[in-house]
Order: sequence, then structure tokens, then C-alpha cells
Amino acid sequence: MQEQTPHTAVRTQRLRRISVFDGQDLKKAMLAGAAWLEEHRDAINALNVFPVPDGDTGSNMAATMQAAIRDIVNSDETSAGVIAAKIAHGALLGARGNSGVILSQILRGTAQALDKKQTFTATDLANALQEAQRMAYRAVIKPVEGTILTVVRETAEAAEKSAERGDDLVALVQEMVMAARQSVARTPDLLPILKQAGVVDSGGQGLCIILEGVWRYVRGESIVTAGTVSTPSSSSKSPTLLEQLEPGVKKGRVQIEEEFGYEVVFLLRAMNQTLDVEKIRQTIIDMGGVSTVVAGDEHLLKVHTHTEWPGKILDYGVSLGSLLDINIENLQEQSLAYAAESAAEHASDAVPESPMTGQIAVVAVVSGAGFEKVFSGLGVSAIVPGGQTMNPSTEELLAAVEAVNAGQVILLPNNSNVILSAQQVPTLTTKQVGIIPANTMPQGIAALLGFNFEADFEINCQAMSEAAKNVQTAEITTAVRSAQIGGVHVREGDYIGLVNGNLTFAGRDMARVIRETLERMNIDSYEIITLYYGEDVTREQAEETARRIKEQHSHLEIEVIDGGQPYYAYILSAE
Amino acid sequence: MVVRIVTDSTVDISPQQAEELGIVIVPLTVFFGDEAYLDGVELDNASFYRKLAASKALPRTSQPSPAAFQAAYMRLIDEGADAILSVHLSAKLSGTYQSACTARDTLPENVRKIPIDIVDSQNISVSMSLPIMQAAREAREGLGLEEIKVHLLDTLARTRILAVLDTLEYLKRGGRIGGARAFLGNMLSVKPIVSLKNGEVVAVEQPRTRSKAFERVAQLVNEMGGIEHISVAESGEEVGQQLVQVLRKTYHGELPIYKLGAVLGTHTGPGTAAVAVIVAK
Repeated sequence: MQEQTPHTAVRTQRLRRISVFDGQDLKKAMLAGAAWLEEHRDAINALNVFPVPDGDTGSNMAATMQAAIRDIVNSDETSAGVIAAKIAHGALLGARGNSGVILSQILRGTAQALDKKQTFTATDLANALQEAQRMAYRAVIKPVEGTILTVVRETAEAAEKSAERGDDLVALVQEMVMAARQSVARTPDLLPILKQAGVVDSGGQGLCIILEGVWRYVRGESIVTAGTVSTPSSSSKSPTLLEQLEPGVKKGRVQIEEEFGYEVVFLLRAMNQTLDVEKIRQTIIDMGGVSTVVAGDEHLLKVHTHTEWPGKILDYGVSLGSLLDINIENLQEQSLAYAAESAAEHASDAVPESPMTGQIAVVAVVSGAGFEKVFSGLGVSAIVPGGQTMNPSTEELLAAVEAVNAGQVILLPNNSNVILSAQQVPTLTTKQVGIIPANTMPQGIAALLGFNFEADFEINCQAMSEAAKNVQTAEITTAVRSAQIGGVHVREGDYIGLVNGNLTFAGRDMARVIRETLERMNIDSYEIITLYYGEDVTREQAEETARRIKEQHSHLEIEVIDGGQPYYAYILSAE
Repeated sequence: MVVRIVTDSTVDISPQQAEELGIVIVPLTVFFGDEAYLDGVELDNASFYRKLAASKALPRTSQPSPAAFQAAYMRLIDEGADAILSVHLSAKLSGTYQSACTARDTLPENVRKIPIDIVDSQNISVSMSLPIMQAAREAREGLGLEEIKVHLLDTLARTRILAVLDTLEYLKRGGRIGGARAFLGNMLSVKPIVSLKNGEVVAVEQPRTRSKAFERVAQLVNEMGGIEHISVAESGEEVGQQLVQVLRKTYHGELPIYKLGAVLGTHTGPGTAAVAVIVAK
């Protein structure tokens, strides 16, 4: 079934014709989309343009989808509008990375269009996609074609045409997937850097995969919902998608169930018969228990399992003996509470919880123990851990902003991948929030150093933004795959030097890569270099590196600081 | 009416200038270990910084005793003063103002025949000297105590100071760091810019290099508005000249330069340069 195939040929491959979906259908479609994305997460991560180990689109979008479905997975809600709203809300808070944020906007646009609708038709869905693509474009200050934006737009266009033709939901979703696939395939033609790197756009591919997951669910849908028409040609004997897909869907759901459902723990004491540990373990697994541990002997054993039906497991236990020390926890509540707790914990982790001035506090996203100390030492009120790949969710940023003891908060994203998530925060709080366009941690530090204790919030936002701009950042790391970008040949395992995010040099000799990278940033026109060394570099090595730089450029002042950052051997700022 | 102006050695003007303007300076004391030196009398800028470089221990400072003030006031009364205006460094930075008040309040009745007004300038060094020298000129011109005092307070209210330090160590160890403690956790090397507000040291900004710091100071001076008077104080010629050069890019009027005395030196350290501005009304 390819692009040039006339529409009729495609139609014959459909099993069903469905005019209307309700909230439960939407829920299952989304779960399927999330599950399919989860399966392809690593493949999408591998599409990263720069051969650097962060900015993982696959992980970011998958995390966003998990957040989106969190509130609906156990929901009985039948209204599509309500389900869509919950999905959008979850995605909004849990969005990670630029691609995650754009995805959350797509979901938000869809939810807005489906507002108050109990059910929706193909036409409704096509309209929703139009709204979705509009919201996606609005989320980005400088929209670039050849990205997820192009894919959602072209998918929405295809959906519109499909609806106009009178297609039903199944045909519409199929058209969407075809269009998405084609759009993704074309992205290297629209964005040269993709062509150079030999990949398609990762965000677009992520969206395409989600749509494919939805399509897989819709394709075999045999559930009779209001207004469903079953055509005679459909094989009612073939397994329904749910059954067919049960392994696939269940797989996705099982992963979700790791965090959801109930944790059931109890002691089982033998009464009238001895206990068969193996048999009991297997039976519980067959009943759907996950992470099942059964330990003990024929007289007394302990059961630990995760299940959606605690009653069933307990009933079984009661049939075998007497139950003691019964403990049942709601895992979803637990994990939410834990997340809130750890967000609050991290928010108060920074040394001075007191704000810079009576009114203004600064929150920074930081990765690396050494960097955390530098930011704390500069008076940051809260640090949001950037993690391995510098992609905290909007929720995490929001929690930190709310936790600090000031009504005016300045936010330092410190990574270009975090800026979109950060930009969602002002709309989610009553506090006054200013976002400094700091794309790297050294820019964030420069912004902090530019803080004027005598000036007000507006002036400081301006001054800090100015200060951030005036810092050049160089990064030295190891290439995770081969690539060719901007004329630079990179082999996997090479050391690579980036200047302000652009790949400038690659090679096998670290010292040479550092030297060449510094040359290319016109290092001589600066006064002071700060060299932050990563967690895999020793202080001695860093000082040796600094010494070599000083040899080449004697007029430079060089400061060596323990940054402790992952992946990047050196992060260097020049001012 | 003969009004005489009294101040303390943190005013950082030379003995010659003081004599020309008829200003009486009561010196603070600087201790290097057990050795005590009268600031500006036994220890000037150059000899202080030489000693500082050679000394392992940090110097300490101490305010003038009430007796020293009494001696100064009584001498002026004998010389025929009709009123005394005694202007001193911020009471939050030193007990000098308090000492002067005690001196006046314990003068014997028969001696204390004239009004002695004591003013906490809430300033120091060049930000104090500009208004004081103006008051001294007005006194020479024959203005009365009340009028001079009104002008003085008005001028002090319009005076700003910005100082660039090499390090916060001296401020910290001397206990006068005040609001600048906001800078203390910083692991990176910076050249902090501090100021005085309500008589206390406050943090302004932390540029990475001295040249950046002076550029910023010049910018901040420009943002203050019209300049009625401006002057620079330096711990040494090198830093002073650097600051002057940057200021000269935008300011072309008179720019007198003074040397920071031993008391200032004790609390700010080497490599310090400051600029004081009287902002036009």
C-alpha cells in the first residue's frame, strides 16, 4: 500500500468501517500509540543529528506520552473531550525536550478541538489536527520546516482531504499514517543538516510512530460502538485487533503496569495443606501478577506482586492457607507522591534557599555535581537536576519555581533543549517568571554573574540575557556514531569539539581536538577561559589541558573548575 | 560666622588639601600586629600597601578615641570657631561617629560654648570628601552652620560610590562585608563591584575580569544621570589609571584622583579602585 496507489485499492484492505470514536476508543488508541513509541524509542534516539549522547528525542517523546496517558490508563470516562483534556494536561506537565513540548502542543490543540464532544467523527478528527498543527507552530518562535512541524502539518492536510472525501475514521487514520511517513521521508530535502547527517527528522519520526501505533489499534477494531457499521466483506472470524494486538498492547500496558495498579504483599501460612512455592508463583503470574516474588517454604511463604486485581490474588491466597501481614499499596499514588517528593527535595537541595534579593530568586537546570556547586555558590535558590541528557519536564521546572521563596523567579534553562519546556512555566504559575535564553551552563553562569543586586526584575532579566549572550561555549565530547556535518567527518569514537552547539572539529587525539576547536572560536579575542572538566576527567588531566592552552595563548587567564558533568569531557567558556 | 569643618582620616584627602581648606582631620589608627600607626599621619597610602605586602598578619583598624575628638574640638573653640560641623564615615562601618558624639556630649559645660553638629555621612573616602570639601569652601565663604549643613545633607543624599575590588577577603575579614556576602559562595574568580547604601556595603555585580568591571562601572556611572562632581580613589596608580581611562571614554570633565588611605586599604585590600559621583539635581 504505497503512495501512488489509488484510494480504492487501499480501501479493500480495511477490515472495518468506523464512523465514531468515544473516550474509551481514544484512550485505547493513545495507549497503543504510546506503546508503539516505547518500542521504537531507541531507534528514534539514534536519529539524533549530532553524534552526541544527549537531546534524545525518542526518550523525550516517550516520556511525554507516558505522562500524557498517566491519568487515563485506569479511567472509565467515555467522553472523548474529557479524555483528550486529561491527555493534553498530562503531556503539558510531563513534556521533556523540544520535541516533547511540541508533541504536547499537538495534543493540546487536539483536545481543544474535541472539547465537549462525547464522541468524534473523521471530520472532527481532521479539524482537531488542524488545530493541533496550528498550536504546534505557535509553540516555536522560529518554526523550521523539515521537522515535526512539517509532519504534523502535512498529516493534517491529508486528514482534511480524507474527511472531505467522506472517509471514515479507519481510512482517515490510514491516510494520516501514509502522509506522515511520506513527510518524514522528505525531511532531509527540507533541512540540509538532516541530509548531511544521513537521517530523517527524529521528532517527525516520533510523531509518525505514534500515529502508526494508533493506526494499528484502529485497523482491527471490532468493538461495536454507537454508530459502528460492519461491512459484510469484513471477516468477522479474524481475530479482533485487540486480541491480535493483545500481546503488543499488553506489552505496552505491562510496562505501564509496572508503575500502576496495586502492590500486594502478604505472608501465607499453610493450614490444611503444604504450600507448593513454584506452583503458587506460576499461578499468580498467570493471573496477571507482575514483578512476582514468592519466597519461603511449604509452611510459610511471602508473596509480593503487582496487579490490577488485588482481590483475585488475595482470594487465591485465602484458598491456600491463612494470610498475615497483608499490605496493599496503590502504585500510581505512590509513584506520584514520590515524584512530588523528590521534586520538592531537589528544589530545596541548593545551598541558599533564600532568594538573591528580597523579591527575586533564580532557578537553574544543572547537570554535574561540580556545576551544581558553582550555581549554588552563585546564589541560585533551586537547582533542577538536568540528568544525563539535560531534559527536565515542565512539571519539574514548575515545582522548583513554586518552591522558591520569592514572587519573582528567573529561570536558567542552560540547554537549548530545555527552553521550550521552560517557556511553558510562566503560563502555569501566578509568580512572575523570566526566562533567560541561556543555551549552555556557562551561559547560565555568565547570566548569574550579570545579576545586579541593586536593579529590579525587568532590568535584571535584560541584563542577564545580555550577559548570557556574550559568552562563547565550547564542548568536547566523544562521538556516539559516525557522521558528516558541515564538512567535518566524524568517526564513531572520535573526540569532537562543538562551538556554541556547532560541530567544528573531530579527531582521535583529544589534545589536538581541543586546540583546533579553540582556534576556530577565535580564542585570542577573549580574556578569560573557564575550563569545566567532566566526571570522567581528573583534576590533573584538566590542569594539564589548561597548561597546554596557556602555552599556546599566553595572554589568556585560564580557570580550571570541577564541573562533574556526564558525557562532555570539557565544557569551556570564553569571555 | 566662623564655621569649622572636622572629619576623620577616612576622608582620604592629602594633608595639604586639608590645610588649604581649613579642614581638621582626626585620624583613625591602623595596627600591624602590636605596632599602631595614625592613619594619614604616620602611614600614608604608599607606606601602608608596602607594609601590607610585607606583613603576614592582616592589619586592624580602630576609631579615634573621644579624647582625640575633644582635643580637636577644644582647639577649634580656642581658635575662635563659632560653630563646628563634624562629618564622619558611616556609623555602620565604624565607631568613629559614635566616638565623636561621646566626645561632644562629655565636653565640660564651660568649654562647650558653641554648637557642635555631628553628621553620619553614610559614606566614606571619595564619596565623603566631595561633599565635605564643598562644605569647607562654603564655610570659607562665610555661610552659616545651618545653611552649610542643609547643603551638605542634600549633597550627601545625591552621592554615589562604586568600588571594584580584587578580592572580598579584606572586606570579609574586616567584618564590613555587609550585603556583599551575597558574592561569597562564588567559586569562580571575579572582580566584585560593591557600593554603599544606607551606610552599608552592598553587592552590585560580579564581572569576571577587571576590565569588564571597569566597563560596567563606567556604564553604571553614565546611567546615574547628570554629573555634578566626580572623583576617583585608587589603592595604586595602575588600577586607578585603568579606571580613569575607561571613564574618560564618556566623561571629559574634571576627574581628580585620590589615594585610598590605610584604613580603606585594610578593609578593601590591594587592587581597589573606586569612583564617587555627586549626581546633579
